Amino acid sequence: MRPIKTLILTGLFTALIAPIAGATPTNRVLLMKHYDRFLVHALANCATCHLPQKPDVTQTSLANFPHNPYGRRLMSVGTELSKKGKNSDLSTRIQITSLEDSDGDRVPNEVEILLGHSPGDPKDTPSPEELKLASRRKAEFTQFLKGYRWQPFEPIQRPSVPQVSSAQQKRVRNPIDSFIFAEMNTRGIPPQPEASSATLLRRLTFDLIGLAPTPDEIRAFLADKSPNAYEKVVDRLLASPKYGERWGRHWMDVWRYSDWAGWADGGQIRDSKPHIWRWRDWIIESLNKDKGYDKMVLEMLAGDEIAPNDPSTLRATGFLARNYKLLSREQWMEDVVAHTGRAFMGITMHCAKCHDHMYEPLSQKEYYRFRAIFETHNVRNDRIPGETNPDKDGLVRAYDAEPTAVTYLFTRGDERRPDKEQPMSPGVPTAFGGTYTLASVKLPRAAYLPDRRDFVIQETLTAAKKAKDEAHAALETATAEKKPFAQANFYAAELRLSVLNSQIYVEGLEDSNRKASPEWDAQAKQLVVLQRRLAKAEAVLKVETAKQGLLEAKAGGDKAVARYGKNPMAGAQKLLEEAQKALSEAEKVLQNPINTAYTPRSTLAFPAESTGRRTALAQWLTAPQHPLTARVAVNHIWARHFGTGIVPTTSDFGRNGRKPSHPLLLDWLATELQRNHWQMKPIHRLILMSDTYRRASTTSPESQKRDPDNLALSRYPSRRIEAELVRDNVLWVSGALDETMGGADIDQNLGLTSRRRSLYLRTAAEKQTEFLQVFDAPSVTECYERRQSVMPQQALALANSSLSIQQARMLARNLSQQTGADNVKFIQEAFLRVLARPVKPNEIKTCTDFLAEQTLLLKKLNVGTKLTGNTDLKDTTRPAEEPDLRARENLIHVLFNHNDFLTIR
Amino acid sequence: MSHLESFDIKPALNKYGGKTIEETPYKDLLDPKRVNANIVGGNPAHIDRSRLMPLQTGYKKYGQCGLEVGDWFKNIGECADDLAIVRSLWTLDNDHGAQLTFQTGRHVREGAHPTLGSWITYGLGSMNENLPEFVVLGNPTGDCCGGTWTYGASYLGPQYGGVRLTTDPAKPLPYIKPADKFVHPDEQAAEFSLLGRLNRLSGIDYPDDKDLRARIKSYELAFQMQTAIPETLQMEKETEATRKLYGMDNNATRSFGEQCLAARRLVERGVRFVQIFHGGGGGGAWDAHSEIKSNHTSLAEQVDKPIAGLLKDLKQRGMLKDTLVVFGTEFGRTPAAQDTGRDHHPQGFCAWMAGGGVKGGIQHGATDELGFYAVENRHYVTDIHATALHLMGLDSHRLEVPGRRRLAIDHGQPIKEIIA
Repeated sequence: MRPIKTLILTGLFTALIAPIAGATPTNRVLLMKHYDRFLVHALANCATCHLPQKPDVTQTSLANFPHNPYGRRLMSVGTELSKKGKNSDLSTRIQITSLEDSDGDRVPNEVEILLGHSPGDPKDTPSPEELKLASRRKAEFTQFLKGYRWQPFEPIQRPSVPQVSSAQQKRVRNPIDSFIFAEMNTRGIPPQPEASSATLLRRLTFDLIGLAPTPDEIRAFLADKSPNAYEKVVDRLLASPKYGERWGRHWMDVWRYSDWAGWADGGQIRDSKPHIWRWRDWIIESLNKDKGYDKMVLEMLAGDEIAPNDPSTLRATGFLARNYKLLSREQWMEDVVAHTGRAFMGITMHCAKCHDHMYEPLSQKEYYRFRAIFETHNVRNDRIPGETNPDKDGLVRAYDAEPTAVTYLFTRGDERRPDKEQPMSPGVPTAFGGTYTLASVKLPRAAYLPDRRDFVIQETLTAAKKAKDEAHAALETATAEKKPFAQANFYAAELRLSVLNSQIYVEGLEDSNRKASPEWDAQAKQLVVLQRRLAKAEAVLKVETAKQGLLEAKAGGDKAVARYGKNPMAGAQKLLEEAQKALSEAEKVLQNPINTAYTPRSTLAFPAESTGRRTALAQWLTAPQHPLTARVAVNHIWARHFGTGIVPTTSDFGRNGRKPSHPLLLDWLATELQRNHWQMKPIHRLILMSDTYRRASTTSPESQKRDPDNLALSRYPSRRIEAELVRDNVLWVSGALDETMGGADIDQNLGLTSRRRSLYLRTAAEKQTEFLQVFDAPSVTECYERRQSVMPQQALALANSSLSIQQARMLARNLSQQTGADNVKFIQEAFLRVLARPVKPNEIKTCTDFLAEQTLLLKKLNVGTKLTGNTDLKDTTRPAEEPDLRARENLIHVLFNHNDFLTIR
Repeated sequence: MSHLESFDIKPALNKYGGKTIEETPYKDLLDPKRVNANIVGGNPAHIDRSRLMPLQTGYKKYGQCGLEVGDWFKNIGECADDLAIVRSLWTLDNDHGAQLTFQTGRHVREGAHPTLGSWITYGLGSMNENLPEFVVLGNPTGDCCGGTWTYGASYLGPQYGGVRLTTDPAKPLPYIKPADKFVHPDEQAAEFSLLGRLNRLSGIDYPDDKDLRARIKSYELAFQMQTAIPETLQMEKETEATRKLYGMDNNATRSFGEQCLAARRLVERGVRFVQIFHGGGGGGAWDAHSEIKSNHTSLAEQVDKPIAGLLKDLKQRGMLKDTLVVFGTEFGRTPAAQDTGRDHHPQGFCAWMAGGGVKGGIQHGATDELGFYAVENRHYVTDIHATALHLMGLDSHRLEVPGRRRLAIDHGQPIKEIIA
């Protein structure tokens, strides 16, 4: 029998666990740090310095786990150095012993390591073929040692700005360019010239607000010869509220925005929560206000702890609420841990769920300590002013629901095998330094007793008053037959209001710590009396209702059967008897001795204290010495400006991620973000003002030859606009876009008819707009990087959807009114409007010819007058009857499909 | 689908039917450790599924190989000598997310991963100019159970995902034709022509722009697809005999027959991968927790003739040797009764392959006497993927995507014993 698959996995995990079981895993980390990518995986292992014996976690002493010759030598060198008071760190010791041959196999230690063989095992030695590679490998390693050692897990040092030649200096607009030139120089690539003004304006406008510049904006910019014309545009766009919408969508990708998903039209919410759009609006507003990134991280992770009474800040915790998963708390926890790690730190924390991380200095224990930070939290939906039913509309937010929840390490990540011997305390990975300082948070009363909030009290009172007034009005107009019922109904409503007033008064006494006072005693007793009277009034109301029921039953009919069963009279009679019985019970209670045991108004209560675990996490993340937070943040910003991050794997800064193309620049920008109080607009401005950003996207023979992927950024990387921008711009250029900001998510199926911006359309697992999906809409499970595909379905969507066809017709008509009969004028304006660039002479020729030919064709086809087809089309969305106007509609429609409409150059 | 009454016949169930498992010689089957092994989140209900249910349909031997097939699948039975049955599959999920697992190898909780179809299109590319490479027919599983993920490409990129078509030539995929009838085909052709010219004009400044070239090409393909896809779906072009072979003359089999026939027509025109769903939506029509007899009788009737028709048609056209047909299900059904039905059963179930490089008339692997556990030559579902990829000339280990680490279990291993 073949071994089952789980055995294969099990074997793999055992192998992974072995390396860290040794005495000083720190030394292993230092060894890995020294040799970096030159250390083969097999040598990132205890056996590089220790004798290969079965590692055993309990055997931590050197006697039980002795060194091999290499390890012994490293140790003795260390002892010597320390005696002399010299630096004895591992790196120094490795260098001192690099030319020695510790294991006596006639190959120097360093050569062995570089070739992937053990320097402490004479039997493990490179073959003659391998030795031939030694000198090249060594040269590479020497070069590597001389170069900038980018250490993403070490605190950021601000690098100095490189010197560039005086010729290049002329094109340097800010330090970004110096860093970029330095890298280009190593590759020997010249920069492309600055892009044309129209290209730049279009690039900037798309980049910052996600919409094309208008013809007026283009004309104004082309005419503006002032030296700061470009800068003025940058500042205008950064100040536009549409900046928040455009960049909001970027951050929604990174922070995994998702509306609710579920089954059966919301009958069962499975992922995320309804009303989570408030978090989306918080993102947009925060960006527009240029709230610091550190503040945003803090509010998203711990808004409920730092501002428990501020609904505006509480929205931010949608970041956590978004992970809600009905079917599996385990998966929910796993997602929170994985994506908090990836989004803010660019580390693949989730790999350490089942075993210590294979590549990063993260232990499995640290994974569970990190998880413990979130173990206590849950999600709730608070009432908001104006809506008494939070299911209809509410504030979805995180809170600590179980401050005492315990986290256990799951053996091999299996939730069925918790290690109950070792509860995990909350904590952060030690490899990134800093301190995790825990302080629990005493919550204000309104936060843990949300029904005690003023607006809830006021709205509850108002509703009760309204009910009373309505009952009164009903009594005034009641027929003689209904009078007893209406009377009972009014009396009950009146008492409900009295009880409510009394409850609120008693609550007030308690809130001001007067529970022991005689006043409280008297008021509570009075409340008890009122509640008993109300109970009786409710019972009377039930009796009267039942009596009305008897009348209904007597009348008979389907309604009576539906309400009272097959024999309506018997059913109604039974209800009456029950009601009368309840009434006599209520009357009995009224005779009981009076006490203070009243029934409170609301039993909605949450823990009065929050653990502070998430606040501590956010503070640790945004502390100045945290090595990753600022780097990851600026890298995201860079990636969204240039299509690719400086670290291309934006959510993996670890050893398994890709190396940065410009490590110095990344570090410099990270310090720049911190120096600017983590505000992002200054970083955008810096990037946009650089020469690098302004380059043409055309290629040169040198760049094609030496850097076809444009890693050095000698040119601007052109790319297709994102799905949302395709849809938004069809609406925008035709003048139909509804610019309303914020608010509830719009049904995803309204993508072709709604005129709101695409980021307001519902997006969740299985709930995405088809038109957007065709254009690679972001996955809701993760979208740290956007990828733009090219496929025929996209062509069909733009060629055949009602959206593009109808908007083209409307725009053609509007433009024709503006430009009159002159085709050239029409073409010029059409290019300016749709493609946001001036038309070129050969394009004018092609398009004029087309208009003439198409008019003839349409005349010949004689389709213009047949307006009998779809009757559901409004006149404005039907094709024009005149062939020449219809030809213009066709031209606009072609421009919607033009590659330049879809591409940022 | 019940493996017990289709392609993994268990006479022991007739022998012990009505008895509890404890009353049979196999009482150790319900050991909770064994029942729960491999199943993510455990499998508590199984303990209560103890009273064995006799087979709900008859069976007989077919072909030279003597394969036993349940009467629900008589027509497929006739193709027995072309089938390679794998009777020892197991999967991770005791719920309908197993449908996603069957396509990606991953549990639904782990989200989207590339499906078998997307790996094949990613690895092999297109064979035609007028049609997509990966086509999905039928009604895919509901949102609960993978939904669009069951034919998606996840991180491989959407161009490798399945393009969903219906067999209705009027609307086989989104935006296949202009949204309103006013658009005249000649008018549109002139537009596409102008578009090509304009794109090439602005391309002069960007001779190295791969995206631009791809876009020009995608418009050319899209333009072709508008007519090629409806043309492909014109079943009336087939002879009466062919249509009959697929059961298109019968109400019960027409719909699935149309899909099987469409699959052949697509494959004939160079489509690389066709995925047909049956009984999709929600947990799936085959989820016979009660009344399994009537449920499977009627559902099997819908698919039996069309599938056999597809195999016979491919064979008579000489296409079967180059076309691999895979028949599978999310999981099996319990040997024990759940009232009048059978419950979910991920511990052992079966699938079969036919054509393109597999041996015919072979039975590989086995479940125990009661059909409870896969016991002999056990295979996780990705072994089916690995076999298919292998037969298509691909090795999933060589399709690694940078930054995406796959596990051994994702790759699976080709089932060598069934490969010709």
